Amino acid sequence: MAIISREQIVAGLVEILGNDQVITDEKVLKESSIDRYRKYEQVCEVYTQPIPAAVVYVKSTEEVSKVLSFANENEINVVPRTGHSAIEGGLETALKDSVVIDGSSMNKVLNVDTYNMQVTCQCGVPLQELDDMLREQGYTTGHSPQSKPLAQMGGLVATRSIGQFSTLYGGIEDMIVGLEAVFPNGKICRIKNIPRRAAGPDIRHIICGNEGALCFITEVTMKLFPWMPQNNRYIGYKLDDEHMKLGFDCLREVMVAGYRPSFARLYDAADAQQHFSSWLEEGKAILIWMAEGPENITPAIEAGIKDLMCKHPELEEVDPTLIEKWYGGLNWGPEQIAEEAIEIKETQNIGITTEFSGSWDNIYEIYRTACDRILEEVPDMTLMGGHSSHSYINGTNMYFVYYYNIVDCAPEEEINKYHDRINQIICEQVIKYGGSIVHHHGLGKARTKYVTEEYGSSYYMLKTLKQAFDPNGIMNMGTLIPLRK
Amino acid sequence: MKVLGCFKIVPDLDLVVEEDWTEKEQLKIDTGYVKLVWNCFDESALEMMLRLSDLSEGFDVVYELSALTVGKQKHESFLKTLYALGFKHGIRICNEEELLFDSEQIAEGIANYVKTRETQDVIVTGIQSSDGSNRKTPYLIAEKLGWPCITQVIGMETVDEMTLKVTCQIPGGELTQTVKTPCVLAVGNASCAYLRIPTLKDKMKLGKQPIEQISPESLGMKTVREHAKIVALHSVERKRNTIVISGETPKEKAESLYKEYLKGRIEE
Repeated sequence: MAIISREQIVAGLVEILGNDQVITDEKVLKESSIDRYRKYEQVCEVYTQPIPAAVVYVKSTEEVSKVLSFANENEINVVPRTGHSAIEGGLETALKDSVVIDGSSMNKVLNVDTYNMQVTCQCGVPLQELDDMLREQGYTTGHSPQSKPLAQMGGLVATRSIGQFSTLYGGIEDMIVGLEAVFPNGKICRIKNIPRRAAGPDIRHIICGNEGALCFITEVTMKLFPWMPQNNRYIGYKLDDEHMKLGFDCLREVMVAGYRPSFARLYDAADAQQHFSSWLEEGKAILIWMAEGPENITPAIEAGIKDLMCKHPELEEVDPTLIEKWYGGLNWGPEQIAEEAIEIKETQNIGITTEFSGSWDNIYEIYRTACDRILEEVPDMTLMGGHSSHSYINGTNMYFVYYYNIVDCAPEEEINKYHDRINQIICEQVIKYGGSIVHHHGLGKARTKYVTEEYGSSYYMLKTLKQAFDPNGIMNMGTLIPLRK
Repeated sequence: MKVLGCFKIVPDLDLVVEEDWTEKEQLKIDTGYVKLVWNCFDESALEMMLRLSDLSEGFDVVYELSALTVGKQKHESFLKTLYALGFKHGIRICNEEELLFDSEQIAEGIANYVKTRETQDVIVTGIQSSDGSNRKTPYLIAEKLGWPCITQVIGMETVDEMTLKVTCQIPGGELTQTVKTPCVLAVGNASCAYLRIPTLKDKMKLGKQPIEQISPESLGMKTVREHAKIVALHSVERKRNTIVISGETPKEKAESLYKEYLKGRIEE
């Protein structure tokens, strides 16, 4: 915790950045003490976490360096952020008198290099703006998470995010080329842009996924891909919900057969009704693929998937135009979040998501047993479902979607009574069967209590990284590594 | 007191993709792929009914809530939701066609249901649907039954077994009146915009009650015939001109905004 007073922290920051870039407005500070993990507290405007001393808007790598050096010398906890779209507590200011370093003003696209097929941008570039701009020129980053309208490049790399077309393009770890980051002692490190190298460990992965617990990401270079939506093909099948195990097997068959659709999804019946209720019968799950790429490739992928699926009499093909039109409206922007807040207040009903991954041989058991336990052990549930949305040769993810009524519960108690309890059940089942408790949202703070079980003996490596790069313990404490009680 | 909530299930128009709104020379917006939702005014009406029932303790009035829709087999899941929330009867007048401009026939079916199948003291509906937007059904139901119709309702309270206190919006304010039943209440922009959500346990326990299915013919509804027909459809251009205010500091930008764009308007 800081060795100087709250007032001295603010004064020191003003000296570095000037008044305009140091925000101490109470409302801003309160809103900056949490992220969407504490969605109900956010909606009720009840803040239970320590309120930060300031939110600072940095405009250059050098400013980041100066602010971090100041924080390091004075042992001030800092929380790096860009788009403020985190949903696992990663942006909570867990310690008294923290400083939130906001990189959203560093929002310049520095270089679009269409010959080497890479784009370099500052950490605060909004992904939506970047990809829209690239698409106008016939390119794409290939990265399209649901948070695309909100998220910015620094946070996307920091949380090891993944997009809806990951089966073709990969997660962000597959897309990053080079990076620039600032460490707590003020040291600026640049990792150059090259296609590959074998000169030791891939140090990009110290930065990618660090969740602000090791460094502040200031610049990102991403791969570019040609944008050819005119060639997209959509494939969908419905199946009875009791055949979810078969659904996972179908995802597996496509991956193992060597096809690379960009989009591969399996929705259980409960989740499917949230999206497809106009034409999908109750009790039906749905499998969806999208093939993307050159015009001679996508029809082949479509034909290949259909050839595999026609061997399953349990599947019934659906009109691909229904899938095509639905997928256009998947992302979440500020309007949806504002609307959701009103709905939560009115209905006292809240929806949360939690993701995990598993191998082909345990994904179904994790999914099934976690659902059963939640329905059995958690009161007031109004919906429990989920979907797999990212598949690999050796397994897939599952994205639980659950809603509950908040009954006889103060805003500050909601997290204990419902959200943490559900999280706990999911984590316990994932660990029991051998999956990973985090697929793409980042570990955040709530799930750090399971980090030693998640990492096993390799926790030594994670802890050593933290000790080496952040010896004073100032970088987003409580994220990745749990706080000592 | 027997209260019948009449509702319509509509496509969530917020999810219609941009191209479908703007496609040239079409007479129909394709909504076949978007999820189904309660018509917004009907959703308020149904929640208002539940709140009326919730707050009836101490008044010695027992409310028997029923819900009716003219709609597709798919829409029965919404009736099951209402069962789970405590509605006693769910009725579907079976119709698999899209109904946009059929207020006359819908009103005929609802009025005849009340006349011939199950009498009611109050009928509550939304003022209009989001797809047809005819704004006629509640008036026509009232006319066919010979009941008074109160529109733009935003609140209902219990008075006694035969009387409700009804608040509605009027130009420039709100009007609260006591109303003797029977009556038709058409809900407008009420503050309770969302229907509560039943738990999965209540869905399991209460949601499986049988839904009464009635053919339109048996209620005197004629084969759908549209009094109105779409002959042209144009999208509204929503683009706005944008001006980026420049300045070195936020102060400069704010000054520029004030001097160039706000000051004149404020002084006017």
